[in-house]
Amino acid sequence: MKIRRLFAIWASKLTGFVCKLLGKQGLTWSGKIALTIDPDILTEMAADVREKIFVVCGTNGKTTINNLLCSTLEGQGKKVICNHSGSNMLNGAIAAFVLSAKWNGKIDADYACIEVDEASTLRIFPHFKPDYMILNNLFRDQLDRYGEIDITMNLLKDAMRIAPEMTIIVNGDDALSTYLAQESGNPYVTYGIQEQVFEEQSINEIKEGRFCKKCGAKLFYNFYHYSQLGDYHCPNCDFHRPELNYNASNVKTGKVLDFDANGEHIHVNYRGFYNVYNILAVYAAVKEAGIPLQNFNEILGKYNPENGRMEHFSIKGTEIILNLAKNPAGFNQNISAVMEDDSPKDLIILINDNDQDGIDVSWLWDVDFDRLGDPSIRSITVSGIRCQDMRLRLKYVDIPSILEPDIETAVRKRIADGTGNLYVLVNYTALYSTHNILKRMEGEQS
Amino acid sequence: MKLTIGHLYPDLLNLYGDRGNIQCMMKRLQWRGIEAETIEFEIQDEVDFSELDIVLLGGGSDREQMLVCERLKEIRDDFKAYVEDGGVVLAVCGGYQLLGTHYSTDQGVIEGLSIVDIYTEQGKDYRLIDNIVLESELSDMPVVGFENHGGRTYIKDQKPFGKVIYGSGNDGQSGYEGIIYKNVIGTYLHGPLLPKNPQICDHLLSKALERKYKKSIELAPLDDTEEREANTYIYQRFKGKVSRPQDQEQI
Repeated sequence: MKIRRLFAIWASKLTGFVCKLLGKQGLTWSGKIALTIDPDILTEMAADVREKIFVVCGTNGKTTINNLLCSTLEGQGKKVICNHSGSNMLNGAIAAFVLSAKWNGKIDADYACIEVDEASTLRIFPHFKPDYMILNNLFRDQLDRYGEIDITMNLLKDAMRIAPEMTIIVNGDDALSTYLAQESGNPYVTYGIQEQVFEEQSINEIKEGRFCKKCGAKLFYNFYHYSQLGDYHCPNCDFHRPELNYNASNVKTGKVLDFDANGEHIHVNYRGFYNVYNILAVYAAVKEAGIPLQNFNEILGKYNPENGRMEHFSIKGTEIILNLAKNPAGFNQNISAVMEDDSPKDLIILINDNDQDGIDVSWLWDVDFDRLGDPSIRSITVSGIRCQDMRLRLKYVDIPSILEPDIETAVRKRIADGTGNLYVLVNYTALYSTHNILKRMEGEQS
Repeated sequence: MKLTIGHLYPDLLNLYGDRGNIQCMMKRLQWRGIEAETIEFEIQDEVDFSELDIVLLGGGSDREQMLVCERLKEIRDDFKAYVEDGGVVLAVCGGYQLLGTHYSTDQGVIEGLSIVDIYTEQGKDYRLIDNIVLESELSDMPVVGFENHGGRTYIKDQKPFGKVIYGSGNDGQSGYEGIIYKNVIGTYLHGPLLPKNPQICDHLLSKALERKYKKSIELAPLDDTEEREANTYIYQRFKGKVSRPQDQEQI
């Protein structure tokens, strides 16, 4: 053990500890300090992982897939390093390793599950080459930061070239992700939902990648699951949805999810159709790595991330579900999940425009909010820095809303006068703070 | 009364909430009891400009914009005739750039539609990305939006859409944003442009009604409280500040 590495780990742990005392997450600082003291630290620590390293990429679902994968591996008795909180840039990845090290500088891990921001893959892969990359989907997100989806794809393409032996576990229903996996030359396997699940199609929804990335012709779809995910083929060249190695069939959604993954029955109390992909990605990753999988349903059932992804709170008789909604594809899926609950409900939508949210809120107009005109939605409250924009967006689908910039006040008001069934949809920078507010309010009652 | 809006190539040009501009025009017509229809033209469709009262040309990614460019050349003469006849056009970002004579990049020069005598050059260093506030003669309220462009557009002696109060505008230097040419507005403003700037929307609608029905038509007033408050919020937040888009993104 190098003294330098030991010193880096101590300094980093101390930083993490101080940040915690100050009530901050502090992962970015922990990682930064470790890397400054020992530039090789990530390479060395990654090499100490006994079995495999997974990275999880994709616009939506990264944090859920990564945490579920970690829980599933732990459920098989494995020791796992994971960046649970979703801190997914270079410093966050380093922090996950360093903070799991003991004071003697050693790590004790069979596997590592690291979610990685697509744009950060190029900065992280020079430090270690993952064995597997899960690539769940590519949607428009933070166009002000990344410019265009094409730019994200180019970054991922370059990252895959750095790690040519890494197997890509790709969502075959997404033409963009599949194209990347196929073009990379890396080995790949696919997961997806072979058969059509929904009859009606939202014709308004913006779909990415309507044109074949290979030849430029317009892709033809037999059906869509949502957004651009579905069964596609190019009429002009040989590009088409590949055979699905891991397939979900008999999919039923509602207040629970029910489906078969390669014939294995999955039944969980999750909402949101998109979670079929999240669970399937985990299933594929575990199977692909050759790990015997036991008690999968129980592990999924017990999983309680407490990270604001469909997180449940109960405050003064009101049942509250908090969820992240940060881009059009995610928001549309959130709306679907809310609408699957047909009991009366109130809704709070919080929109911030801090740097991490993307400072451009134009994307609100790419979300199909007209679906919230349903009579089961008794009230919509708009909150956050850009609540005015959100109120205006709803006005143009003839849906009135209540303006309350402060989220805590908004929640208290709806608990006092609402239906007892409250959904809170927030974008990125409000997630942690809203989670904390709801946690505190939950604690106040006892 | 009825207006027909033609949305050009939303299958390729649909970045940054362009649909919000359509939605805004449709609603502000319908709320006044005027019929409104939108026709979406995909890249292979024939466009008959004689049946259109408003044309919206949005922005897309560079690759997609190139595809559109090829197609637009084929309809260029009809498009130009429509504009010269007073046809209403809202061209945003990439669509705005396409109205000009050319766009020069490192890779070469992309020929534009030459509908307006302006041109664009690829910026040398950074993209101009930030909220933006303008003063425009078309609106009593400030015009607010969001700009995100690598290109610098030079409008020569064409009339600008507005004077920059906060943000970068056409080329980051001149202090002006967009162009107004006959009944065409070309601009970099996303946001989308129209919902928070209802007077700009109504300006386009009146011009289109005037052209179609050959008389001046007074639009019934609407309650714009929410529009005004959203507009004022942006104005108050950014007026008097200095925009530094170069801090954000390298090209």
